[in-house]
Amino acid sequence: MEGVNRKWYSGMTTSEDWWAVWVGLAMFALGLTSIFGVDMVGWMAKTKTWVWGDFGFSHMIKPAGKAWKDIGPYGSFIMTYLSFTALTCTGAWFMKLDVKKFFMGWTIIFFMTWGLWIIGHEAHFKALKTSQSQNQAELYGDDVYCTTKVHKCTKKINTALKKMGVDVKAGDTPTKEQAGMAIDQVKKAVRLSWGLQLGGGFSFILALLVGLIIGNFFRGLAAFLKEAAKPEWFIKTAIVYLGIKIGLMSMKAAGFTFELAIAGMCATIVAYMLFWPITYWMGRKFFGLSRAASAVLSSGVSICGVSAAIATAGAIRAKAVLPVMVSMLIVVFAMFELLILPGIYTYMAPDSPIVNGAAMGMTVKTDGADAAAGAILDELMLANAAKRGIYWEEGWILTANVMTKIWIDMFIGVWAFILAIIWVYYVERKPGQSQVPVSEIWHRFPKFVLGYFFCWFVYLGIAVFGPDLIATAKTGANIVQSPMRKMMFMLTFVAIGTITDFSKLKGMGKLALLYAIALFFVIAPIAYLVAWIFHNGMMPPTVSG
Amino acid sequence: MKVDIEATIVDDGKSWIVRYGDLTATGETLPKLDEEFAKVLRDSGKFVCGSKIKVFMGYHFSSTIPTWMRQYSYHYFNRVVTLDL
Repeated sequence: MEGVNRKWYSGMTTSEDWWAVWVGLAMFALGLTSIFGVDMVGWMAKTKTWVWGDFGFSHMIKPAGKAWKDIGPYGSFIMTYLSFTALTCTGAWFMKLDVKKFFMGWTIIFFMTWGLWIIGHEAHFKALKTSQSQNQAELYGDDVYCTTKVHKCTKKINTALKKMGVDVKAGDTPTKEQAGMAIDQVKKAVRLSWGLQLGGGFSFILALLVGLIIGNFFRGLAAFLKEAAKPEWFIKTAIVYLGIKIGLMSMKAAGFTFELAIAGMCATIVAYMLFWPITYWMGRKFFGLSRAASAVLSSGVSICGVSAAIATAGAIRAKAVLPVMVSMLIVVFAMFELLILPGIYTYMAPDSPIVNGAAMGMTVKTDGADAAAGAILDELMLANAAKRGIYWEEGWILTANVMTKIWIDMFIGVWAFILAIIWVYYVERKPGQSQVPVSEIWHRFPKFVLGYFFCWFVYLGIAVFGPDLIATAKTGANIVQSPMRKMMFMLTFVAIGTITDFSKLKGMGKLALLYAIALFFVIAPIAYLVAWIFHNGMMPPTVSG
Repeated sequence: MKVDIEATIVDDGKSWIVRYGDLTATGETLPKLDEEFAKVLRDSGKFVCGSKIKVFMGYHFSSTIPTWMRQYSYHYFNRVVTLDL
């Protein structure tokens, strides 16, 4: 029965969800070969922070793996394009997309993404000031920026001073001349006449804005790119790669990782119990929506966006037009959330990184928008903290965000099953004749989560059962979980902007109003409170040195 | 779950439509659809009149849900219903 999910393996070769797993595991497997001393992923291109004026491609990109440095930036970029084009086009073929259209759209999106990523890495936008420039500008000058992680620059400058006999850690103060000489010796410290200090998040925001401009002002181009603009596919693949990162983080901080997982689960359960009934009641009492419309909208706004709306509509046997309408709302509003919430949370609560991440996970709808918002939040909060001399490890805020979203995704199937039982047994009232197969839970289970957990537990398993392999395992893992994952995030940003057309809100009337009220005045504040209850006091580890 | 027949179900915005081989039935609500489908099966002569048959109805996702939405979910619903012929 083609097109119908009859068997447990239905959709394994034809759905984006499963193809996120296959693309994810393909690179995971190649990365894992580093435990045998082989680097099969080092060809991956990696962006560098570059300075306006140094226009050579080698200043902007390099191969991620040392063993591949001889292929240079062009070889690396070509191999990255060819590898991911092969993977995604294979997926497109199996998913019965128009492969020719997909290939052309993918190529445009790929090159656009990399162009924006490189622009976003220009030092005047991205680089943060060194701690010396921030705290002792009279000695070092207030114009010293770091083209790598700030704590690394700080360390190198201090090391250069120590070689001159000035031990800053012991309390020595360099002269202006010594300070200047030390900075000149550190390649990654540059003097710039101005800098916006936006950190890595700027690339994401730039990609999103360009996508939105295409989606809303160049509709012909947006239509052309539609076949390949698959933000959910890209972000789910990125989340599978993120599982590797969590595995590596667990090696260093296993206790904190599991604490985050449990806190995320608890927060999700509480959120489900509160959000859905409140929104359902508002829809029925104040907006006069039918049971079906209220239920679908409640799931969409309070659980997980489009997938929850579809799951709920299916569970209560609503005609497909209902989740289609609600989904249009969800996608547009998710974009508003993505645009405004990371900045609001960063500046409203700059010292609550994990609370912010978890709250974001419960508030922003759709996996694509949520993980994208988490990535921006991670970058913004890290840059903001670095300006105050606090250096958190990258990725924990994103992890808190994605962790709550993953729990939400996993519970959708259970929630929809419960709703289906209620609908069949109490609303339709034909318990003897109509049954709800338990397999519905599996069919709705987000399969990309399997890839995420698999990657996580494999690397955790290496840490526990084969600690001698950790160093070699990290060689491949770091390439997959960093430049590859970030590339999938960048692709998501461009794609999600391209498919978001704000004009779809026209004519939505009271459905849009209820959605907006529920989201910003009910979900967002309660999500923040729940996140605060379960995550207050949790802080990401700081980088050493 | 063991069933007697497997059919596909879709909707056109107004009515549900179930298809089994060359047999088709429609109904504005699911109970009406079940009644109509039972009648169609009875009239086909392929089943014993008065028997109970278990029918699996799987929603044909790709023919109804727009392409842009499929990346979010690829399942709508399946239902199993027992019909009195």
